Amino acid sequence: MHESDIHDLSDDADYAVASKQGSSSMTRADDSKRSSYSDLEDAEIVYLKDNVTIHPTQYAAERISGRLKLLKQGSSLFMTWMPYTGQSSNARLSGRDKNLYTIRALSFSDIQSIRRHTPTIGWQYVIVVSSVCAGLAFPPLYFYSGGVREFLATIKQHVLIVRSSEDANLFLVNNFQDPLQKTLSSLALPGSLANRTPSSSSSPSYGNLEDKYTSADGHLSSMQQNNKQRQKSHDPARDISIQVLEKFSLVTRFARETTSQLFRESLVDGHGPNEKRRTNWASKEHQSQEMTSNDVEIVPKKVPVPSDPLEFDKLSLVWGQPRQRPLGLQEWSTFLDSEGRIVDPNALKKRIFYGGVEHNLRKKVWTFLLGYYSYDSTYAEREYAVLVKKSEYETIKNQWQSISPEQAKRFTKFKERKGLIDKDVVRTDRSLPFYEGDDNPNVRLMHDILLTYSFYNFDLGYCQGMSDLLSPILFIMKDESEAFWCFVSLLERLGPNFNRDQSGMHSQLFALSKLVELLDSPLHNYFKQNDCLNYFFCFRWILIQFKREFEYEKTLRLWEVLWTHYPSEHLHLYVCIAILKRHRAEIMGEQMDFDTLLKFINELSGQIDLDPILRDAEALCVCAGENGAASIPPGTPPSLPIQDSSIYYQDDSLL
Amino acid sequence: MPSRRRTLLKVIILGDSGVGKTSLMNQYVNKKFSNQYKATIGADFLTKEVEFEDRLFTLQIWDTAGQERFQSLGVAFYRGADCCVLVYDVNVQKSFDNLNNWREEFLIQASPSDPENFPFIVLGNKVDVDGGNSRVVSEKKARAWCASKGNIPYFETSAKEGINVEEAFQVIAKNALNSGEEEEIYLPDTIDVGSTSQQRASGCDC
Ligand SMILES: Nc1nc2c(ncn2[C@@H]2O[C@H](COP(=O)(O)OP(=O)(O)OP(=O)(O)O)[C@@H](O)[C@H]2O)c(=O)[nH]1
Ligand SMILES: [Mg+2]
Repeated sequence: MHESDIHDLSDDADYAVASKQGSSSMTRADDSKRSSYSDLEDAEIVYLKDNVTIHPTQYAAERISGRLKLLKQGSSLFMTWMPYTGQSSNARLSGRDKNLYTIRALSFSDIQSIRRHTPTIGWQYVIVVSSVCAGLAFPPLYFYSGGVREFLATIKQHVLIVRSSEDANLFLVNNFQDPLQKTLSSLALPGSLANRTPSSSSSPSYGNLEDKYTSADGHLSSMQQNNKQRQKSHDPARDISIQVLEKFSLVTRFARETTSQLFRESLVDGHGPNEKRRTNWASKEHQSQEMTSNDVEIVPKKVPVPSDPLEFDKLSLVWGQPRQRPLGLQEWSTFLDSEGRIVDPNALKKRIFYGGVEHNLRKKVWTFLLGYYSYDSTYAEREYAVLVKKSEYETIKNQWQSISPEQAKRFTKFKERKGLIDKDVVRTDRSLPFYEGDDNPNVRLMHDILLTYSFYNFDLGYCQGMSDLLSPILFIMKDESEAFWCFVSLLERLGPNFNRDQSGMHSQLFALSKLVELLDSPLHNYFKQNDCLNYFFCFRWILIQFKREFEYEKTLRLWEVLWTHYPSEHLHLYVCIAILKRHRAEIMGEQMDFDTLLKFINELSGQIDLDPILRDAEALCVCAGENGAASIPPGTPPSLPIQDSSIYYQDDSLL
Repeated sequence: MPSRRRTLLKVIILGDSGVGKTSLMNQYVNKKFSNQYKATIGADFLTKEVEFEDRLFTLQIWDTAGQERFQSLGVAFYRGADCCVLVYDVNVQKSFDNLNNWREEFLIQASPSDPENFPFIVLGNKVDVDGGNSRVVSEKKARAWCASKGNIPYFETSAKEGINVEEAFQVIAKNALNSGEEEEIYLPDTIDVGSTSQQRASGCDC
């Protein structure tokens, strides 16, 4: 395996090149590459269709229409799709976009499958999945002027194409025994997943996927149904990876970034396509930049672009959505009834999951997310609770405040605990204005809250990392008692992270390894071979919920998103995988051993872009579905601990 | 190949939370002290090139978390160590009492091939505090303990003032280099039958 392979094959690299060079390079002719294309000029056109359109975004104005052709040369069949020039009535549609989606001479020997979609509203479209490059799915091609049937019939005349016995809308190109097929089935998805029937293929309902999350530790109900129909078959039609790719391709621009990020597997796992194909693939995008006006079809007439709000929905509501703006005060009030109850907690959580909360609203909202207030409490009940809780806090605080110096002398455990807290609060976020400077009262508050907590939960006591968890909460709540109780609520779930036997951490690291095995088996195998399966390099991420990995403000955003438990209680594990996946090519390409990997991960701190990671994490969570949920043992934090009186039993001989 | 491997010396710093492990490492490698280092979670390492007997070596210095609860992670971090630095705070009795635990824990988890002769070094840190007035562990007591454990070299340091840090790490580097563990590193050169040294030899070499 050579590093250059990875980069040559990287769809992202192509993307980056395309965007960097933009239209300026379009006129530059590269003779060698052009000649390989112009070979096709003597090919016979066996099919031609105008007004075949790509929808890169949900905006009608950004759709790109073009001409689809099937070309026959010798015994080979090729497909091309060229965007029209002269259509750019809008400035948003850049030359780059057009180049990016242009399909230049895609050989049918490189196509794995074609799926026909017939939505109840809107145009028929097809999604072509390539067998090269880990089965990249091309964006859906919408046939504005019909012709899907004729398209498929023409293909059938020239290449071996079989309708799947499982799914009448899926057409499999080439021989199933083709070793390349293995590429796709080895696509990091285990057999159990790969053998699943595709969901609702005749009328795709991906748009509603997110509404099917269950509120607590959810997975998709449609997935559950599929599971019932699970059968043993090696028909690639059942390969969930094809569906995954197709679904990703629905949001085209996103797909081009994410599919390549998520599904680069075969590039590095040794099952990759052979060298020749690889070269073809790598050069394809490059060719497209060198397009001259000759290559572009002339627009025939005005293209009808009817707007269809329903269809927009379908396109935008696919998983891994772009982030929304944060929830603001005005919108917040719409979630409350006249007495202050949250009418629809799930809708609220979903809203926060996708956008977070505006800073000035955090103090209000976090109390609910953390579980300090219940969603059905009223204004009056909450006002009362604040008072009760405040005096309760004072009572507990008094337990240590009343310890005299004489008493402390004979109370080693207390002294040591206090000593640890003393040392840690002065090492926690001191560069932040809120905690900055000598004798900062907020540092004092942090100390008092932590010491009080160690009395409130004497068995768990104080452990390093807790100050990192408290810091943002105090920063937001600005009130001692409320910060304390919110911290208590958080530790209801995260307390096991600090168990003396490290059971909470081990169960999460174990679940993480199971999920990586499920979602990225080559990476899993790599870790296995390199003695990295303990996942200790993710220890800090999990222990303090990525607190040290992002800037402060981003941490607040991430936390409120995680606390919604919206697609899963364990989204943080999918966040881990999303980050690992973003760097998998480096990790495996540079053959990192455990030490190097640990250092690499530690140094990612401050380098991680949160929003794309959240989208990837969501997408991964959805991909994993119930198999993901099943990989996570019950009681794994932040799930509430399984009720068991011995769970907090701590060896008394220790601190 | 073996000579290339031999240039990497792995050093582990252990000791109670807050004794100054991170500060010592940074003082040695980066020549600076900050009282804003965060409590260490998990582990991290810094590297530094050192010249010794006209040859260049890379010291890989591992800084681990002092909190007892995180000790079970040690297994992953200690293996392949060439030297172990035990740190205590001269102003905190408990941190000195715990040296023995740290030493034993290390020997169990790292399982070096020759535990009797594995090189340790003890640092009594924070001698600067209060001009030495808040000190509770005397130098004599510390040296006695070191002597009882096979003449472990001992230094009194201040990460804050940079006292004795350079000197201590010179000895650390030297002892790491001369540690019995290094023989393992030569092993890939020879044919090794059934020894305990597979660990290092099978590590990623590419
Ligand atoms: N006066 C003085 N303070 C020191 C010295 N070394 C460290 N400190 C302070 O002691 C505290 C703990 O230092 P760290 O280096 O973070 O301790 P550590 O051993 O790495 O602690 P953990 O990461 O929790 O295991 C910090 O506030 C340092 O500023 C020293 O030599 N003199
Ligand atoms: Mg430290």
